[in-house]
Amino acid sequence: MDPFTYKPASDHCLTEAERVQSVQREPGLVGVIGRRLACATLDVYFALYHRLTITGRINIPGTLPFVMVANHESHLDAMILAAAVPRPLRHRVYPVAAADVFFTSLPAATLTTLFVNALPIHRKKVPARAMADLRHKLVNEPCGLILFPEGARTRDGALLKFKPGIGMLVAQTPVKVVPCWIEGAFEALGADTKFPKPTRLSLNIGPPLDFEHVSSDREGWEQIASEIRGAVERLGRD
Amino acid sequence: MNLREFYFDPANAFASPVTLWISLAVATALVLAPLLTLALAKAGRLNPATRKDVLVRTATWAVIVPAVLGPILLGRGPIVLMVATVSLLCYGEYARAIGLFRERLLSGLVVLAILVLAFANADLYYRLFVAMTPLTMVALATGAVLRDSPAGYIQRVALALMGFLLLGAGLGHLGLFTAFPNFRPLLCVLVLCVQANDISAYCCGKAFGRRHLFPNTSPNKTLGGHLGALALTAPLAAWLLSVALAGTPAGNIWHCIALGVIISTGGQLGDLVLGSIKRDVGIKDMSAMLPGHGGILDRFNSMMLVAPAAYHYLAAVNGSPETAAHPLLNLLRN
Repeated sequence: MDPFTYKPASDHCLTEAERVQSVQREPGLVGVIGRRLACATLDVYFALYHRLTITGRINIPGTLPFVMVANHESHLDAMILAAAVPRPLRHRVYPVAAADVFFTSLPAATLTTLFVNALPIHRKKVPARAMADLRHKLVNEPCGLILFPEGARTRDGALLKFKPGIGMLVAQTPVKVVPCWIEGAFEALGADTKFPKPTRLSLNIGPPLDFEHVSSDREGWEQIASEIRGAVERLGRD
Repeated sequence: MNLREFYFDPANAFASPVTLWISLAVATALVLAPLLTLALAKAGRLNPATRKDVLVRTATWAVIVPAVLGPILLGRGPIVLMVATVSLLCYGEYARAIGLFRERLLSGLVVLAILVLAFANADLYYRLFVAMTPLTMVALATGAVLRDSPAGYIQRVALALMGFLLLGAGLGHLGLFTAFPNFRPLLCVLVLCVQANDISAYCCGKAFGRRHLFPNTSPNKTLGGHLGALALTAPLAAWLLSVALAGTPAGNIWHCIALGVIISTGGQLGDLVLGSIKRDVGIKDMSAMLPGHGGILDRFNSMMLVAPAAYHYLAAVNGSPETAAHPLLNLLRN
């Protein structure tokens, strides 16, 4: 470890209300304890209610940063992926969630922060600055991100086209991208379902991908999105 | 006196006239400040930005004052809880400002030590309060070893210990005042005069400040401001303390003046200590928790040095208020 250097929390100038809705959020002692309790609760829920099985855990890098991506079938998906992350890293892995769904009010944002540890992103019009902030957090904090590059939940179970935003985050960085496939979440809590059904869930984690040498331009981003989609799709066929 | 009355006795809130005067003065100021601001703005004597700033600051004061004065009026239990909460919040801001919060074990040990200090205050267990400094030192030095990463070891331990000493033990002395029989007026005088000291230093600095004392640490602090604050706050504190401490050795006017000087200079030194920390780290405020003021530590910095200095002066003159009562420990023993 390097000698101690002063490095204020990235969210140190924000109020509590701004902190829960900011991508700069960095949890303190209370946040980490709260997050660990929430994770323990979710582990029990997934084990007992959904009999979640996880294969390929060994493919998750032991050190940060990394990005986990998967097919998006339900609101359970981010929590399913988080359940696979080793416990010591979990409070530093953030799902990126739709601000227009999960961060519409302070109570909703607080619950999303506590149980999902999510960071908000505005889907309709993602400003370049927001992607730059996420990329900065990913590389410099460093941290892990959980992303669903389809941008929305599937309405029929089929895998949608991946948006190139994922490429903007990882192009020309040493950040590993871990493709994953979630099975059963569509039946458990599909877009038209209000309450989760006790169906069996499984998560298949593939070997990490590296995009350090892919150019960071529109063409490179599209290429990255396409390669990741292919890897996720292959896991689904396995 | 039963346990409930010992910890919670709002019936005696205004037993001392000093407590009543200060409560009334503060409440009046809170009501008058926004009215005066609006009147000045209407008369065109305040620009909109200043008007907004003053109103935001006053609104924050309207939250701070009941949060601090309320527990003092309610009794020993709420005071100890308030002091522990302020210590924890201040340590949280300090740790987040310098990055020490990422050292979870060390921060956890400091939080634990502050909670033990709160127990020592609640139980009037002064020896435990004193013992917590060496115990915390050993705990931090040992805890930091467990990571098996010697690089930065001394810095991490020293920064955590500094946080504990200034914000745990330093601010924790406010809780020790509850061992004095007249703790309410004493705490009211401390809180009022420390804040009045800040305000008078600012006003006198604006009016008479020419020579900058510590231009690298705090460019806005001037000799005029320091001397003005001393000239205004020390007599105010001395007068209030002479009433609050009447009938005790410390009620002597010279002791009261000495305490007034301690409150004024200690308050300004505490301000400079925090200013140095902020300059070293390169931040303006410790957090954004209190709109218009910055963080809680920005508001309580003056108390870090005033509380221990005033407590030990009083204990030396009036005799240590140590007791063998231990209301909480005795509950466990019986």
